Order: sequence, then C-alpha cells, then structure tokens
Amino acid sequence: MRINDRVFGMLMLILAVGYGWEATQFPIPFGGQESVGPETFPIMLAIILGISSIYMIVRPDQDEKWAPAAMLIELSVVVLSMLAFAWAIEPIGFMPAAALVVSFLSWRMGASIAKSIITGVTSSVVIFFLFNNVLELALPLGLLEF
Amino acid sequence: MDTMSLLMQGFAVALTPESIMFAVIGAILGTLIGALPGLGPANGVAILIPLAFSLGLSPTSSLILLTSVYAGAMYGGRISSILLNIPGDEPAMMTCLDGYPMALKGKAAEALAISAIASFIGSFIATIGLVILAPILAKFALRFGPSEYFALFALAFATLGGITGKNQFKTMMAAAIGLMIATVGIDISTGVQRFTFNTLELFEGVDFIIAIVGLFAISELLFFLERHAGDGLKQVAINKLKLSAKDIIKVLPASFRGAVLGFIAGVLPGAGASLGSFISYTLEKRVSDKGEFGKGDPRGVAAPEAGNNGAASGALVPMLTLGVPGSGTTAVLLAMLISLNISPGPMLFQQNADLVWGVIAAMFVGNFVLLLLNIPMVGIFVKLLSIPPKYLMPVVTLIASVGIYSVSHSALDLYFMIGFGVLGYIFRKIDIPLVPIILGMLLGPEMEKSLRHALVLSDGDWTVLFNSGLSIGLWTVAILGLILPMIVGPIVRAKMSKSKEAVKDV
Repeated sequence: MRINDRVFGMLMLILAVGYGWEATQFPIPFGGQESVGPETFPIMLAIILGISSIYMIVRPDQDEKWAPAAMLIELSVVVLSMLAFAWAIEPIGFMPAAALVVSFLSWRMGASIAKSIITGVTSSVVIFFLFNNVLELALPLGLLEF
Repeated sequence: MDTMSLLMQGFAVALTPESIMFAVIGAILGTLIGALPGLGPANGVAILIPLAFSLGLSPTSSLILLTSVYAGAMYGGRISSILLNIPGDEPAMMTCLDGYPMALKGKAAEALAISAIASFIGSFIATIGLVILAPILAKFALRFGPSEYFALFALAFATLGGITGKNQFKTMMAAAIGLMIATVGIDISTGVQRFTFNTLELFEGVDFIIAIVGLFAISELLFFLERHAGDGLKQVAINKLKLSAKDIIKVLPASFRGAVLGFIAGVLPGAGASLGSFISYTLEKRVSDKGEFGKGDPRGVAAPEAGNNGAASGALVPMLTLGVPGSGTTAVLLAMLISLNISPGPMLFQQNADLVWGVIAAMFVGNFVLLLLNIPMVGIFVKLLSIPPKYLMPVVTLIASVGIYSVSHSALDLYFMIGFGVLGYIFRKIDIPLVPIILGMLLGPEMEKSLRHALVLSDGDWTVLFNSGLSIGLWTVAILGLILPMIVGPIVRAKMSKSKEAVKDV
C-alpha cells in the first residue's frame, strides 16, 4: 500500500496553498512596500512545500503499517490522559495529578496495577519534593494546600 | 600562541568547583540518558534545557552541564549496543558488530572498558581538533555576508539528510514545515502579524523547546506503547573485568585512526556521526592484519566508538563557529544557546570568548570525569539499564512535562507539547525526519533575516544571492548534497545493512 504518502502529500499541498495564499494577504507594512516584505520568505516556503508534496503524491514510498484500530484508540486515550494531567496541575495540584497519570501510563505499558500505583505515587512525591525543596521551583499544591 | 592563552583562561573557568560540579552531574546524567532505552542524546538534552533554564543557571554553567550531558550520552549509548545488541542511536550501530559478540563470549566487561577508553581517545583528539580548527573557521566566517549566510543555511538543510538519507523530498518537506512554524508570530522587522489568527498566545511565535520535547519525548512514549515494548529486553550478564595493559595497547592505533576519521566526518556537512563510525570500522577492518572482525575483535569495538565520539565533538565546530548544526543533538544544543540569548557564529568567539573557551575546557574536564566514572561505575549503569521501560518512560515523561511547565507555569505550553508529540508520531509513521523540522524552527528567523538583508542591500536584485565566488561554492555543495544521496545513498545503506546481517548470522 502506498496510500499514506498520497494522503499526507495531499494534506501538505493544501497547507502549502493555504499558507501561501495567507501570505499574500498580509497588510502592507507601515512605511510602504519594500523590495522584500514579510510575505517574500513565506511564499518561497510555500513553493518548496508544494513541490515536495506533489513529489510525495506522484512517487509515494511504501507504507509503514499503522497500528490496529484498538491500539489507535488506546493511544488516543493515553494522549487524552496527558491532556487531562496538563489541565489538572493547577486546580487539583501537581502530586495527585502526576500520581494518577504516571500510574495510568505505566499500567497501560504493561505493569501490574499495584506496581504502577507504587511507581506513580513514589515518582510524583519524589519529584515534587525535589523540585519544590531542592531546586526551588514551585509546583502547585492544589487540593493538598489545606 | 593566542589560542593557547585563551584555552588557559578557559581552564580557569572550567576548573572552578562550581563548573566541575556541573561537569560531573552532567556526565552522570548523560551516561544514564545514553544508556537507558528509548532516550537518545537529543531527547535527553531537550528534556534538560527547560530545567537548566528555569533553575536560572548562568549561561556558562548551563552550557557546561549540557555539553557534559551530550558527551556522556555518547558514552552511555555504547552500553546498550554491547549488552543488548540494540544501538541507543544510529551512530552506535557499528559498535554492536563486534561489541555484542564479545559480550556473548563472556567478555562484556572488557568490551565496555575498551569502548570507554576508545570513546575517551575519540573525544579527546576531536576536542583538540576543535581547539585548532574552530578559531580558524570563525575568522574565515567573518567574511560571510548575508547572501553567503543564506546559501550556508540552504546548505545546512540540503545536507542534513546526510549521505545515507532516504528520501530527499521528505527532508525538504520537513525543513519547509519547520521554517513555516518559525514564521508564525509578529514579524521582527516590520511588525506585521503573520499566521497568528489574532490569537494572543501566537504573537510571540511557537517556542521551539516545547516543540523539541514534544516531537522527541512524547512521540517516543507513544511508540513504546504501540510496540508493547514495556518489558525491556534481555541483556547479557556482565563478567569480572580482566584487562591487561597489553590489551589496551593493542587497540590504541585503531582508536587513534577512528578518532581522526570521526572528527573529519563530524566537521563536514552531511556526513555526521553515523558515517564517522561506519568509515572508521570499515577502514580498521581493511588496515588490520587478519582480525576476527564481526566475531568480537576488540579493535572492532574501539574503532567505531572512537569515530562516533570524535564525530560528536567535531560536529560542534560548525555549530559554534557558523551557527549551523549538522545533527539532531547539536541542533538541540543550538536551541539551548538561542534560548540563553547567545547567538552562535563567528562573533561568538569574539564577544563571548570566555564562555566558549570555558566550555571547550570543560569538555576536556568532562572527558576525564567520564573515563574515571565509566570504568569503575559501569556496573551501576548496567543495573539501571535493567529497569523496564514500563516504569521508566512514564516517569521520564513526567519530568519532561515538569520542565516545560516550570518555564512559564502555563498549562497551555503542555497542551502544545502533547500536540507536537502527536504530530511527531504521525511524522515518524510517514518517515518524515524530525531533525529538519527542529532545525527549521531554530534557523528560520536568521535565514529570513539574511535573505532580507541581502535583498535590501541589492535593492531587490535576486542575483545578489549568487554573485560571490563563496556563495556560488556554497550553493554548489548544497545542490550536490541534495542530489548525491539519491545516487550514493542506496549503495552505502546496502553495505551498512550487509555488515549488520553478517553479524546476525554468527
């Protein structure tokens, strides 16, 4: 199958055209038009990206296998869990959020539930104290503040 | 001797207790990073940049810390090559050829010790080379005008795929994507907003450190998950070290040859550490009398390892003097320089002489530390190597996120990091190289600036880009660098995989 490169090349061609068109729409800078404006370099880039994406569509490489659907769903869950961690640092606090996400990740990587919880809790507590007390970079305490 | 006195001043900086402390910490961390599966040198340095940054270390201290990490990672990479037959990164591949068979024969400790000595010789000679060559090149580079710089940047991208590059169009595409990301934000010279879509967060552009950590570290985590590689791999047990002076003397010539070849390969654009270790190994095989190459010949361990480390230090020459890195890890080091507000290039040697020479002197110090550290303490590193990735990778990811978070205390930076991680995963699936993307983000602003300067000086005449002998020369090399790999690449790659297969059959 050589579909990956074709699809990706297509997407990049759209990006190149959109990016190049956007560059021509820049307002004329204060002080009038010069021989090189803010749009010159972007237009060059759009042309280079355009040429290489057309090459990719015309002469695609052999596909690397995508993971099966179940794995892709799992990877999305992992990405979501990391996003949730990023969101939770401030309202919930670094230690609980980190303990949860590290335990979850290490469980998904194949550790037993008990061991992943130990990994999560120890690493988050150690890193919290290392950063807060030794390196003096404050991390939010969140719910544990009281 | 001007250089000599500058170097002595550098040692005065590098031998302060504070600098030695950072060199030792960097060496230990670097060896760990190099040895641990799934953490290459580029990755490791990238994770540490935001930490060094938010700790508020002085530029000299952070540079000493991170160059020691860089040197240490090159040392550490050989541990997994020898014990697991898995190269930590591409240049370490040639070390597997004789290192792993030696380990199988019950000579793992000897292989590790010999490779440590060879690494030391490689870095040491190449650092001397750096001391001699860098000031000369820096002086020469003062003659570069904006159009020469523009050609030089083009050359850097064209040769980045290296002689073994697979698909040159994909390298071009990656470079274009990186440069495009760099154009996001307020244009420095005119104040026009570009591609910001009126979002306040995009006015300052995309932070390349966030992109680097995301593209390397987070995408690596996703790959580990997909491959179910959480349990780690079986490694060869380590024996008690029995190394005589005779064994060491026997590998010395191989190490010296490897070091010199590696240094040359490191300095040249487009060659890089992989080619350095490959050439060193093949030459050694030819020069040496009836060795048992491929079956555990110590010289087959020493030559590529010296070459690999020589190339690593050699690659610092173009990075420091021209501001043009030739490899992924030196690109990451450049990222650090830029974020410390130090612009590399010929002026660096004049404006920040004490810093540059301090760092170079620190590389000598770091090398001794690494040698002292690596022979007695190799057992500890080996133990750490046996921690399964299923515990390690989540913790590393956590440390990476803490680093990014502590730079500006915003969750948005973390969202960006994760986004770049997903992008990195997709790019790697489609075989789009990540290094040109990062290099594009780093060099974009400078490249655009030189184009503008050149064109403003010539009043919009584009032929100015090709009107000096120097720039025509640079363009010629750039075009050759883009086209040659399409012809030579398949041949070299076939040879490399052939010698790899020969080992598997043993």
